[in-house]
Amino acid sequence: MPRRASGRMAPAESNDFAVSVAKKLGADEAVTMTVVSNERMARFANSSVTVTKTINESGMMVYLAKGGRRIIGSSSNPEKTSLAKFVGLLCKSMMSIPKDESYVPLPPKGRRFSSKPRYDRRLERAEDLLTGYAGDAIDAAEGAGAKRAAGSLEAGVVSHYIAASNGTAGEEASSKILLNIRAFTDRDASGHGLSCSADVKGFHPDIAGARAGAHSKSMRNAGELREPGSTFSILMSPTVASNLLGLVGDFASAFSIEAGTSYLVGKMGKKVASSQLDLTDMSSGDGCLQPRSFDDEGQPTGSTKLIERGVLKSYLHNLSTAKRFKTRTTGNAGLIEPGPWNIEVGEGDSSYDEMVKEMKLGLVLTSNWYTRFKNYRTGEFSTVPRDGTYLVKSGRVEEPIKGIRISDSLERMFSSIRLLSKDREWIQWWEVDTPTLCPWVLVDGVTVTKAYGDTPAPAG
Amino acid sequence: MPIDQYKDYADYCVREARKAGAQYAEARIHGGAGSGFLLKNGEPQPSIVEDSFGIAARVIVDGAMGFSATNLLSMQGVKDLTATTVKLARASSRLVKEPISMGESRSASKKVSVEEKEPIEGGDPNWLKSLLNDIDKRIVAVERRAKGVKIPNRMMVASVGVEEKYIVTSDGAKVESRVPRFHFFGIFTALKGGRAAQRMVQQGETGGLEIVKRIRLLELVEEETRILAEVLDQAVKPPTGIMDVVLSPELSGIAAHESVGHPQEADRILGREGAQAGESYLSRNSLGMKVGSSEAFVSDDPTLAYSNGYSPVDDEGVTSTKRRLIVGGKITEFLQNRATASLLGVKNNGSSRSVGFDREPIIRMSNTFVEPGDYSTEELVKQVKDGIYLKSFTEWNIDDKRLNQRYTGLEAYRIRGGETKELVRAPILEITTPALWGSVKGRSKRLEFEAASCGKGDPMQGIPVWTGGPDTLLGGVRMLA
Repeated sequence: MPRRASGRMAPAESNDFAVSVAKKLGADEAVTMTVVSNERMARFANSSVTVTKTINESGMMVYLAKGGRRIIGSSSNPEKTSLAKFVGLLCKSMMSIPKDESYVPLPPKGRRFSSKPRYDRRLERAEDLLTGYAGDAIDAAEGAGAKRAAGSLEAGVVSHYIAASNGTAGEEASSKILLNIRAFTDRDASGHGLSCSADVKGFHPDIAGARAGAHSKSMRNAGELREPGSTFSILMSPTVASNLLGLVGDFASAFSIEAGTSYLVGKMGKKVASSQLDLTDMSSGDGCLQPRSFDDEGQPTGSTKLIERGVLKSYLHNLSTAKRFKTRTTGNAGLIEPGPWNIEVGEGDSSYDEMVKEMKLGLVLTSNWYTRFKNYRTGEFSTVPRDGTYLVKSGRVEEPIKGIRISDSLERMFSSIRLLSKDREWIQWWEVDTPTLCPWVLVDGVTVTKAYGDTPAPAG
Repeated sequence: MPIDQYKDYADYCVREARKAGAQYAEARIHGGAGSGFLLKNGEPQPSIVEDSFGIAARVIVDGAMGFSATNLLSMQGVKDLTATTVKLARASSRLVKEPISMGESRSASKKVSVEEKEPIEGGDPNWLKSLLNDIDKRIVAVERRAKGVKIPNRMMVASVGVEEKYIVTSDGAKVESRVPRFHFFGIFTALKGGRAAQRMVQQGETGGLEIVKRIRLLELVEEETRILAEVLDQAVKPPTGIMDVVLSPELSGIAAHESVGHPQEADRILGREGAQAGESYLSRNSLGMKVGSSEAFVSDDPTLAYSNGYSPVDDEGVTSTKRRLIVGGKITEFLQNRATASLLGVKNNGSSRSVGFDREPIIRMSNTFVEPGDYSTEELVKQVKDGIYLKSFTEWNIDDKRLNQRYTGLEAYRIRGGETKELVRAPILEITTPALWGSVKGRSKRLEFEAASCGKGDPMQGIPVWTGGPDTLLGGVRMLA
């Protein structure tokens, strides 16, 4: 085995070292953020484990400013000599570019962040837990009627360390465990289940597996919609609703507003949704999957009410967007683009059964994917429901339906929210980037279409 | 990237994994370095410089697969990585009902490099900023000439970078590669009288800075924004119902990628991506199945010079070859990796790719396209009495079995009497895969490509690809508005 001079430093030491090198090279300001992650994953398909993964990474983001010029670097090489060279390269590159009009200095006095580790230590090295959980989920799916199941289980701890030339310093860590399981009885009959938790205590692979299995059984012999092109009431599960409502955090980013890639441009203080809807970006709280106490500029994070009783209340800011919008940072940096931490959709007071009873002609959707926008400025989009999808007539779930597409605009849909459930779930998976605490949501007047042409018989 | 410095780590990893009982072992030193610049509405944002590399190990033990990755490169780190990978694979084997075998693919021993006429390293933040400023000036000039249409929102990102890899496997593959790339992405919003239209432009190739001139990037973006303003100003309600439709290279390419390339990935067919990217309407027995007309020809070719998806050797160390996916309407080949080719008993066409050291190699498309035909574009349009020419698109999506797809046109023209006429607003083609490929009546000679990033895997991997094709004439399909 070859030998190398490691020269590797602890994360906080790396940060301090990079800041000191930048100062020696003449930078006015420097912020360094090191992110250390230990991720474990078990994937399965056809009820058989397909791969186990362990990924240990440490990456550093370096922000430098001098005379109104700014540059950002990211490096995965924490070795001392390489880091010094990298910071040197950044300083040199920074001086080759002109001044940046959107530059805003860091606050003169930094802050010290000290948060006690509150993450679940069992998720630091969860490899021994994961295959067992995968087995539990598969058994539950098959026990509920599935012939086979596919999915992924991931668990890990992420630590953030920050240091800045104004004296800011801090570190924090968080954990989470996520299960995404899909069960099948045949190629056209599938069901979906999720369990997302910040700790082992709140994690329920058996419930998620059973839910996926039950839907896969219910979806056997699904028919095609006989009224395509019509409008329906749609009851969205937390999985589906979070795919759409969770996007509000990105659309509320001041960067998206400036770039014209948001339907919320020019809507501050205006009605953008039904009075039933409250929506908040939260940086911490019970069960938060992505808690943060400081942002990428070293500013304290908080809770930002984005929509209150249907009215747009705030955009998300970092220091430079806040200056241009003549407001204060909301602690959501992103050095270039402010973004959400976790989205909380306010609870309603209905139960699932009460919401179904309220539907004359409608559809219950339990999962969806491939949401794409025709125009981010207008919020027009379409998305494809999959897995458990059911036609509702006169307050009763009648039959499983396949092969449909939802086509609408976010503002119209959110303005037509009629009911929200009391129960909520944390959702984060392939189709939901920002962790979202979300209820069931009933929306009226949604356009549903289906594709032209015959569908071949399912492949054997 | 100091790849030479760490090659022996990869060699050690494979050797030790075999000693520890792995039937197959593979290690990859993989990294990239580059710069990016973002210009928003004419205002520069902070420049971005990236440098990332690490090592990945993958093993098969008792029919189970283990994958590990780290950028903490030290003697002890790599030793631990190897031991952990083998241990995890072995521990999971009790839950493996379908044992995995990597079979006997032909391993490559090769150095891959791409010619750069103007070295990519010259693309520093200042060069990128100047390029984007020049493009922005052209768009502002387009706005001045447009009648009452404003283009206030102009967000562009240009980046250059080099991807380097060293791959070694226990069956003798040893591959080194260095692939430089240029990439451009822009999103432009035009406004007039309370209405808005938006266009995304994406271009990318492998090579040096000469790419910018070769693809005529400045002219291309200027033309796209000119058309965007025209669409907003002039497009009228489109016709609906059954009609003939001509798909441009851009539309042919996205349809080929979404409804041919994806469902013919063998891992999807075998169910491995079931919970994320989905499965396929095809089964392992679908080779030879008729899904299109005799005019439907679709291929995927990782060896195309300059291409965004250039990957002549895959990340399992196997030489990649052109794949004929649909020939004369029949399914002829799937995209394969070592494991799927072994399971299905076919030749491995080397389709396994990874975006970085911290991602496992999985089956990916490279450059997927409709094969060109014999007609000129004008000859195809002449065959249409009353229909639509779909030249560019905005929104698109497809179900996870790849049967039910939708493409919404942006630049689209009414065709009457064999000639393109007025612009029409947002016509929608929502169609099943057999209906789409079954309606192909002809293809033009010209072959053009668009850059794209294709998402798949868990954790997600967005990998560079090209989508492309000629103009494709579809006979008698339903259009919506």
